[in-house]
Amino acid sequence: MDDEDRRLFERSLRRACESTSGALLDRALDDLGWRAALALDAHLAVSSLFEVQGALNVSTSALDAVVGSALGLDTGPSAGVVLPALGHWAAPGRLAGGDLTVRGVAAASLGDAATALVVARSGHDHLVLESATADLTLRPVQGMDPRLGLLEVTGDDIPVTTRRDLAPGDWPGAIALARLAVGHELVGASRAMLELARAHALERIQFGQPIAAFQAVRHRLADTLVAVESADATLRSAWDEGSPHAAAVAKALAGRSARTAARHCQQVLAGMGFTAEHPFHHYLRRVLLLDELFGTARALTSDLGRELLATRELPKPPPL
Amino acid sequence: MELEAFRASLDAWLDRHESVLTPVPQDAETLDGQMSHLANVKRHAYEAGWMRWGWPERVGGLGGSTLLRAYLGEALTSRDLVEPGIYSMTEVLAPTMIDHARPELAAATVPRLLRGDETWCQGFSEPGTGSNLAALSCRATRSGDVWRVTGQKVWTSLAQYADRCVLLTRTGAPESAHTGITALFVDMDSPGIDVRPIETMHGAPEFSEVFFDDVVVPVDRTLGQEGRGWSVAMDLLPYERSTALWHRAAYLHRRLQRLLETVGPDTLDPSAVGEVAQLLSALRARSRATQHRLAAGEHLGPETSVDKVLVATAEQAVFDLVADGLGPEVTTGDDPESDRWRREFLYSRAATIYGGTAEIQRNIIARRLLDLGPGH
Repeated sequence: MDDEDRRLFERSLRRACESTSGALLDRALDDLGWRAALALDAHLAVSSLFEVQGALNVSTSALDAVVGSALGLDTGPSAGVVLPALGHWAAPGRLAGGDLTVRGVAAASLGDAATALVVARSGHDHLVLESATADLTLRPVQGMDPRLGLLEVTGDDIPVTTRRDLAPGDWPGAIALARLAVGHELVGASRAMLELARAHALERIQFGQPIAAFQAVRHRLADTLVAVESADATLRSAWDEGSPHAAAVAKALAGRSARTAARHCQQVLAGMGFTAEHPFHHYLRRVLLLDELFGTARALTSDLGRELLATRELPKPPPL
Repeated sequence: MELEAFRASLDAWLDRHESVLTPVPQDAETLDGQMSHLANVKRHAYEAGWMRWGWPERVGGLGGSTLLRAYLGEALTSRDLVEPGIYSMTEVLAPTMIDHARPELAAATVPRLLRGDETWCQGFSEPGTGSNLAALSCRATRSGDVWRVTGQKVWTSLAQYADRCVLLTRTGAPESAHTGITALFVDMDSPGIDVRPIETMHGAPEFSEVFFDDVVVPVDRTLGQEGRGWSVAMDLLPYERSTALWHRAAYLHRRLQRLLETVGPDTLDPSAVGEVAQLLSALRARSRATQHRLAAGEHLGPETSVDKVLVATAEQAVFDLVADGLGPEVTTGDDPESDRWRREFLYSRAATIYGGTAEIQRNIIARRLLDLGPGH
């Protein structure tokens, strides 16, 4: 795609996300050729959709397509992928003695698909198993952010129809791509929170002036921008590097910076941001859930630290 | 030359010349030693051509992308061949001369800076003018073909070594703020200049007070136009927050690597280690993008304050981790390596102060990037 096509594509994604959400938005994305774009240029398709999805607080089943495409699986209306359970990044399935146990989540689209594709561990190997969705227990994830539309997927002793082995790098590669996607969604949500707080700070008059004039407010918003820009830059760099390590760092930074953004922006929005009427709380809810997908910032950070203390070797940084 | 080719041949050259380029221990430990070693490295690198790539031909350079300069500094600092702060002064002052000096003056002087024949300093801050730079009062008065300068500067890095100074002076009315400032290029051996180094808490007198008593500066040493010194300063600061920071990030990477090699088992909290490594990754990612924008000819501006906040945060985080992991060495160790950790830890405390405080950077971000209007 040239620059002009790219801008057009991004504009149409934004228009689609502005007008609808959930299953209708999934269909709109198919009509726009988003899946085709994902196959051709994953960087463009993933970064542009997930950033706008985060910014507009809409939900799609695109993460299903992202993980599916990384594993070379055909997902869509008839088959969906089971994702790792919240807070985890281990494969959602475990195959022992021919029995498949499943503990994971999935995008809403799995509810309508006949086939569930489950990545499972068997010993040290990973493989993809096909099973009938009807054999699994699907339950909408409630709690902090039901609007995200995730399903909890569980099952014990699940019959398996077909199986395919995965190469050693396949699952880490899929996790890495999913982390970049969620990272972009976190950055999109963080920028949206910053814009809400910024607009409020300029409008809200106290002591005869906009609260944006007060340094305590300005510095919170400046720190938010620094956090968001550092996550954004790390995501871009992770695309260039293409390593699972870089994607994990980017996801951790995106998760942490979203929490920083939420904390500062909530404080600047004050009472207004605490009401159900103001959109802020939808973003706060969303970033807490997104942080849980494919490993929280906290877990990824301590994991990285343990690895560095064990190897005593910083990974080579990306060259200029 | 392309970056890839430059990288490969520079790396090979550095491998071959490692012995002459590596400072002897005595030189690495004192500022005097670091300065003389730096001149040595710059001369070698200039004569071999490396120091000339990425600079325009009209100032003795060999042309090519600014990325070549960024890589040279990265390679020298990550091999621990130069101290990054003093090395990177070149990255700040040479572009200012190239952009704002008379072409003949730039052509005559910049090569001497690149070759290590000369050291330059930057006379900005004053006793009454720290963060509020536009209030500076060091006065220059026009008298025929010369300026006569009287006043005082402070926190002037490397002034006691400097042959020249990029000096901001007040030429308008005292209350003219940023509209009445003129930048001058001053020979530091001019009569009437008195330099007094300041002892610092990390032990290296890296900056000085500089007194000017009726110092004569030829008018053709004016940088930019009379009364337009503020824009010279504003053009300079983004350089201070771009390539120099890329070099500093390489240095922080090396020091964190050294900490990992040195620290005892079960001394550090894994989460703290992971977080510092991530901060460094973020700094490098941001700074790398900035180097590419600079190389593409983009004008750098207030967005470099984000880079500056990131480098200051990362530097303090790295050395806080050092203090956690190597407490006894940092506090009481009397071997040279402990002494170095201690100096670096103490110096890192200044990272949120020099070059525009953390608060000033946030003010710039709020005003210029977030468009929050005037603040208090």
